[in-house]
Amino acid sequence: MKKVAELVIKFRIGIIIGTILLTLFFGYSLKDLTINPDIVSYFPKDDPVVELFNYIGEEYGGNQIAIIAIEADEIFQEDIIHNIQEITSDIQMLDGVSYVTSITNVLNIKDDEFGGIEIGKLIDEYELPESLEELQEIKEYTLSKEMYKGRLISEDSKTSLIVCRLDVEADKIKTAHQIKEIINKKDLTAKVFYGGIPFQLIDLSDIMLNDINVLIPIISILIILALFFSFRSFRGVILPLLSVAFSTIWTLGVMSLLNIPLTVISNIIPVILMAVGSAYSIHVINKFNESVVSNENRIEQSKKALGEISIPVLLASITTVVGFAAFVFGAYLDMIRDFGLFSGLGIFFAFVISITFVPSILSIIPVIKTSSKNETNNKKGIILFMDKIGVFVLKNERIIIICGILFFVICILGIPKIQRSVDMLDYFKKGTNIRLTERMMEHKFGGSIPIQILVKGDIQDPVVLSEMKKFEDFLNGQGDVKNPQSIADLIEEMNDVMGDGKVIPDSREKITNLWFLLEGEDVMSQLVNSDYTEAVIQATIVSVNSKRIKQLVNDIKTYLDGMSSSDFTFTQTGMHIIYYKLDDSIMKSQVQSLIIALILIFLIMMFQMHSVSGGLMGLIPIFFTLASIFGVMGYFKIPLDIATVLVGSISIGIGIDYSIHFINRFKKEFQQNHNELEALSKTLETTGRAIVINVITVMLGFLVLIFANLIPLQRFGILVAITMIGSGIGAITLLPAVILITKAKFVGDWSEIKNGIFDKTNSVIKKTKLKK
Amino acid sequence: MKKIIQRSLFLLLISLFFASLWAEEIQLTAVQILGKADDVINAPQDQDLKIKLILIDKKGKEKVREMSMLQKGSDKRLVKFLSPADQKGIAFLSLPDDVMYLYMPAFKKIRRIASHVKNTKFAGTDFTYEDMEAVRYSDKYIPEFIEKKDNHFLLQLTPKEGIKTDYAKLIMWVREDNFYITKIEHYNRGDKLFKIMIRDKIEKIGEYWLARESEMQDLKSKHTTKMIIEEVKLDSEVSDDKFTKRNLEK
Repeated sequence: MKKVAELVIKFRIGIIIGTILLTLFFGYSLKDLTINPDIVSYFPKDDPVVELFNYIGEEYGGNQIAIIAIEADEIFQEDIIHNIQEITSDIQMLDGVSYVTSITNVLNIKDDEFGGIEIGKLIDEYELPESLEELQEIKEYTLSKEMYKGRLISEDSKTSLIVCRLDVEADKIKTAHQIKEIINKKDLTAKVFYGGIPFQLIDLSDIMLNDINVLIPIISILIILALFFSFRSFRGVILPLLSVAFSTIWTLGVMSLLNIPLTVISNIIPVILMAVGSAYSIHVINKFNESVVSNENRIEQSKKALGEISIPVLLASITTVVGFAAFVFGAYLDMIRDFGLFSGLGIFFAFVISITFVPSILSIIPVIKTSSKNETNNKKGIILFMDKIGVFVLKNERIIIICGILFFVICILGIPKIQRSVDMLDYFKKGTNIRLTERMMEHKFGGSIPIQILVKGDIQDPVVLSEMKKFEDFLNGQGDVKNPQSIADLIEEMNDVMGDGKVIPDSREKITNLWFLLEGEDVMSQLVNSDYTEAVIQATIVSVNSKRIKQLVNDIKTYLDGMSSSDFTFTQTGMHIIYYKLDDSIMKSQVQSLIIALILIFLIMMFQMHSVSGGLMGLIPIFFTLASIFGVMGYFKIPLDIATVLVGSISIGIGIDYSIHFINRFKKEFQQNHNELEALSKTLETTGRAIVINVITVMLGFLVLIFANLIPLQRFGILVAITMIGSGIGAITLLPAVILITKAKFVGDWSEIKNGIFDKTNSVIKKTKLKK
Repeated sequence: MKKIIQRSLFLLLISLFFASLWAEEIQLTAVQILGKADDVINAPQDQDLKIKLILIDKKGKEKVREMSMLQKGSDKRLVKFLSPADQKGIAFLSLPDDVMYLYMPAFKKIRRIASHVKNTKFAGTDFTYEDMEAVRYSDKYIPEFIEKKDNHFLLQLTPKEGIKTDYAKLIMWVREDNFYITKIEHYNRGDKLFKIMIRDKIEKIGEYWLARESEMQDLKSKHTTKMIIEEVKLDSEVSDDKFTKRNLEK
């Protein structure tokens, strides 16, 4: 590191210019940075379940559904029906929409009063019902049919859906905007809700942009304030701010150059970098303020200061990178992997900038001459506080350890209470349009989370159709599964109007006859493939409660496994099973990432201390931190979701920095003074102070996420903030207490210390009194 | 002076008169062209056809079926499917005043089919019942002359008031020499082209012109239907009692 330090100081001008040029370059490439709020697009494509889900989406238009719900006192009114008809036919003309279904164009199969059959539209678009009698008649008919009630029209006849299937190649967000535009132009008296993924994506991308635009300024101001009150100097504010700004620009620039869009998770990379990355330059500035005291010989002093500080800063950044990198391996969602990767890269950039650009500037601008007045001021402030902590630790080490253990145990007891949440709707605040729409959909139409079964075999075989129907009955019997639908229902309906009853016909000939009349209808391409070897059964489920979903997935699996025929196969897919996998993966990835992070960090600590026990001891604040995360999650009902699952290893990565800095300094002071008291108070005055400042800045930085509009990000912010306090307190109380009580050898030779710790406490008090 | 004014007024009137005549002639021509085109298509008294239908989906997969079609005048028609085997015997009978019957051999039942569903597709093809109707375009549309191009008259047809149709506009290609319609572009109510019909292999059979092949492309679903006339008998004096319910079952 010494060599690096020398090189940095030697080429400082070049480094400053180079950093600025790089920043300009990456800043320019930011113009191509895109946002992809579509979580579905990050499902692992090689997972058979996802593969099947995407296959059904592509072949049967299953996954790209935009839903418009029209709500009025009564849907069957002349103007409302007219509006629905107009909207339906306008949307049908959009390029991105392959099919639209509403009560004004849905396929209708019925027998008329003359014994004839009618295969046509529910409502004749050229003769919309106008008179009250006509409207009443069509209302009664529509509500009497299972095909429409609870699917296109609510039972209370107050809400009606217009269901749009988007083309596979369509730009979902663009098409959703076009649909909204059509409706906005209509000047409707009815209330309109927008549901389904395409509309959710519009809201999500707005929310993401809004979050970036709101959060970054807030966090910048907070960090400026925190830095100002800590350093009370211009450089102390501007340098850390520049270094995080640069590293953020570099990271996003690289993402943009690699064509990797921002996601709902990586959206917070700027916030993370600002909160975490500022620490590195703070440490460097702190060291320079302390060690580079005169303008004479400042180059040599700078080299020495940088050489000394760069090792702990390097370790701190490596551990943080490890914390993020723990997600790169085995993450179920690609977007989590990308998040880990680019956050880690950003941290690395922040590190590089803080040991190159920052010291280069520091070695050029004049040295701050700290006046004695300032020092006494400081003494009264944070240093005095740190001294008090030192005394407290020395006096109460046993109590601290006992409290620590107690706290740990209480937190561990909270772990079984932790809930999990994978529901995408859970991301949005209550009261948002998306949540309202979903609640209305759940209430009136049985939810919108698709369950899909792909049937392979001879679909025109009465046996296969009967099995499909039986399976639908099974789904219906589940209670929370609604609206099972397949070609079998249409065939039954047709058979009924032919006068043979509402059953699957017993002969293949009858089926093919009925089929002939359905062929070419829009709805067919959503139910069967063109050579009738595949069909889809679609249904929806209301809740995505983890336990319920797991049970349902298993119940369906048991049912399907029980079907014994080699002539046809039924395979289950749908969002419910993807949620189930996501849930499972969140658990796995939680455990896995924690283990990876703990092992790597243990190795790093061990390497730093040249001692196994030292490595283990450094992990103490980490266990304390982890316990506090899971305790808080358990007791305060913060569920494990795609964002909070990240907190564990990120906190390890950030929190371990405090231990590293603390042990590093304590070891040095102890070896110099051979006095644990001096060492402790000196460490607390310097490094301890930096830790407290850092805890406050990082905590404030993450607390900013409370203002985020996505719930998981809010939870993430609160949790990280809490854990920062946990690992900070752990590092300046629990860690020294353990070191003192175990007389850990890795900090130095304890044999020269004559008196026991308890005797020494008196002398500390004396000493501090003497100092005053 | 007075004379000059009178003379120029007279000239003006004359030229206005001829201008209006000339304009009217074009108007007349558009109507006439369409009238002639209607005459050419509906010329045979009756037609007895064997038709092969090829349905092509967007992936290029083809399905083939065959049907026989017996037509008399513009409002009597009997269609029977001959193949594939599982559709053999399915038959439609269209009679005047939008009366239509369907026969399903597997059920051995005749059912009347409601008539107001003209914009539904006929038997999985891209032709709707409306497209299959043997109605004179002149009865439903107002033609407007666009231009002459590649030996064709181009007409723009807009529906007459009160006509129920999916098409807001048709652009029609009519051959200059024999007034046979070779192509129709169908525009939806958003004024967007969404279906194209093309007639090909136009031959003279006896004294009548007939397209051996017609094709309908649905631009949105990217589905295409080809209709190929395999056998044709014209003016064979088909009797009216072919068009009965009893004959539907045979």
